[in-house]
Amino acid sequence: MAEIDVLAPLDGTVVELESVPDDVFAQKMVGDGLAIDPSGQVAVAPVSGILVKLFPGGHAFGIEASDGVELIVHLGLDTIELKGEGFEKLALEGQLVAAGTPIVRFDRSAIERLGKVMLSPVVTTGSGTIVYCASGTVQAGHDVLFVLRV
Amino acid sequence: MPEHMAERTVTLGSKSGLHARPAAIFVQNAKGFQCSITLTKNEKKVNAKSILSVLTLGAEQGEQVVLHASGEDAETAIEKLAALLEEDLE
Repeated sequence: MAEIDVLAPLDGTVVELESVPDDVFAQKMVGDGLAIDPSGQVAVAPVSGILVKLFPGGHAFGIEASDGVELIVHLGLDTIELKGEGFEKLALEGQLVAAGTPIVRFDRSAIERLGKVMLSPVVTTGSGTIVYCASGTVQAGHDVLFVLRV
Repeated sequence: MPEHMAERTVTLGSKSGLHARPAAIFVQNAKGFQCSITLTKNEKKVNAKSILSVLTLGAEQGEQVVLHASGEDAETAIEKLAALLEEDLE
């Protein structure tokens, strides 16, 4: 058994997934995890691995790590509808990334002006169960958001 | 050819393609079947029970994907999942 630290991909305040106003995340249909109400402007890789998915609009990405661990970071809710507006991709799909590598830059005020909620779910979709969750404020690429036991 | 095998080509009905919500609903349903299920778009084939894999297809509304299942409940799975993919799950 291994314990894998999943770092906060965003600066901000930790929010329970259940209180995210989007059923697909709140009911953990995508996976278990937490959400972050971001205060910064850059989303980084929460773990080292392969950036297997970076949506063309930059609003979400997924990383495949070792031991079957997979994570999805979704920047804001229903932000696919923005078709890239408010997001700037800083990495390439398929790239190997280290935890903390910048992946997407985002403009919270622009995204909110376009009517979207910036609350950002970070969920595990692969192996492992969450054995520790952070609370309060976290710093991107620095603080542990949750720990997975694989 | 094994006895229980089924395949169908379907056109995606969801407005945002196989994105978070439609993908989550699809994968949750796929996981309810015993058989192994794959989803193929162009040459890329992925495990239909893994949401991140399904998302990597980047399949858009109106695009065609091939559902393939093998195992005891393959035919039921294909019926159910093909119908889901053709719906707008948003």
